[in-house]
Amino acid sequence: MFHGIDPRSPIPLYVQIAERIRLAIATGTLGSAAPLPSVRQLAAELRVNPATIIQAYRDLEAQGFVEIRHGAGTFVRELAPGRRARERSQQAAALVRKLLADARRSGVSLAELHRALEAELGVKTP
Amino acid sequence: MTYAIETEHLRYRVGKAFEISALDLRVPTGSIYGFLGPNGSGKTTTIRLILGLLQPVSGRITVLGRPMPAQYARILRHIGYVPEQPHLDATMTVRELLDFQAAFYAQWDRPRAEELVQRFELDPGRLFGRLSKGQKAKVMILLALAQRGELLVLDEPTDGLDPVVRRDILSALLTYVSERGATILISSHLVHELERVCDWIAVMDNGRLITESPMDKIKHGTKRLVVTGAPAEIGNPPFQLLTRESANGAGEYWVVGNWEPDMTTYVESLGASIRDVIDLDLEEGFVELLRGFRAKERAVRV
Repeated sequence: MFHGIDPRSPIPLYVQIAERIRLAIATGTLGSAAPLPSVRQLAAELRVNPATIIQAYRDLEAQGFVEIRHGAGTFVRELAPGRRARERSQQAAALVRKLLADARRSGVSLAELHRALEAELGVKTP
Repeated sequence: MTYAIETEHLRYRVGKAFEISALDLRVPTGSIYGFLGPNGSGKTTTIRLILGLLQPVSGRITVLGRPMPAQYARILRHIGYVPEQPHLDATMTVRELLDFQAAFYAQWDRPRAEELVQRFELDPGRLFGRLSKGQKAKVMILLALAQRGELLVLDEPTDGLDPVVRRDILSALLTYVSERGATILISSHLVHELERVCDWIAVMDNGRLITESPMDKIKHGTKRLVVTGAPAEIGNPPFQLLTRESANGAGEYWVVGNWEPDMTTYVESLGASIRDVIDLDLEEGFVELLRGFRAKERAVRV
C-alpha cells in the first residue's frame, strides 16, 4: 500500500501517506471498519517520524475517512454511497494531472502523449 | 515550546585552528533533530560540549532543564549516547556488556534489552571485539535504548553501515520514540535518511550554525529560480538569496531560502521575471546553503 513513498518529493510525507490510505479505502483494499496499522508499527515500517503518521491519520479523520478511537486504534469509517467512486475519480484526475505536468517538463507534446496512450491501451487491453 | 537542549553564545576553542563561536542551538522537546554539516564542521565537538565531556570557554548550556556541565551527573543518567567510534571493552561478551551497563542505570529496561538482542539477532556469548561493524552499532544502540533516556544523542549512528543494518537500527529508534516520546539529536551524513525521520534540521559549517529550522520550512522554502532581466543590485529581499549565477545566456539561477509563492510579485517589482521555480530536496538545499554561506564568508574576509 505504501510502495514508493518518496521523502525527497516536495509533497510532504504525511500527505503522501494519507493519499495512499485514501486510495486503499476508495478501491476497497481497506473495507469499512478495517483497522489501520498502529502509529508505532507504521513509523517503524516506513522509517518515518511517528509525528508524521499521527498527522496523516488526523487529516484522514478530518476528511471523514477514518475514526481515531483513543486507546483502541484507527478504523476506516462507513462511507456514504458514491463517496468511494468520487474519491477514485479524484485520484484518476490527480494521476492525469501528474502525467501532463511530467510531459510538459520533458517537452512531450499532447498529440504524442495521446498516441502513446492509445498504443499502450491497444496493447494492454484485449 | 520547551527545549531538551539549549545553548547560548557557546564558545569553544582548540588551539588556533578551530573555534566554535556564538553557537545558539535549541532542540525542541520531543523532536527528532537532525544535525548536518561537512566533516570537521564541529558537530562532534558540539555534541561533546552538550554532554559535558568538554568545557566551553564561555556561554551557557542547558540540557533537560539543568545547567551543563555543572550538573552533569544528574543529567547524564537521562541521556542515551552513541558516540561515533565504538567505545566498549572489546574483551567483554555482549551479555557481560549488558550486565555491566545495567549496573549503572537504576531505570535499566531489562525486557527491552532482551527483546532487542533477539530482534537484532545478536549472539550474547560473543566478544564485542569479534563483532562485525553492524553488530557493534546495534549493541551500542541497544545499550542507549535500554537506559530509558528522555534524550538520545547519536553521533553518526548509521554512517558506513549496510542498508539492512541501518533499517533495523532506525526502526528500533522510531519504535522507541513512539512509545516514549523521547527527544533525539542525530548527526549524520546520510541526508536522505534524515529527510525521512527528522522534524528539525540544523546545519553547521566551520564551527558555526548556518541554519536551524523545522524540516518543512527548509524543504518547502528552498527553491531554484530561473530569473531573467534581474538588476545587478537587489535591495533587501523578503527571502534569503543564497546563490546567484548566470544560466548560460538563459538568465540567471537563483537559489533562495524562506521562499513563499507570493514573493514572485517582489521579483517582478524589480523588473525581472521568473521563468521557473524548481523544488530542491534536502540534500540539494543543504549543498546550496553551504555554498551560499561560504561565499558570504569569503566576501567578508576580502
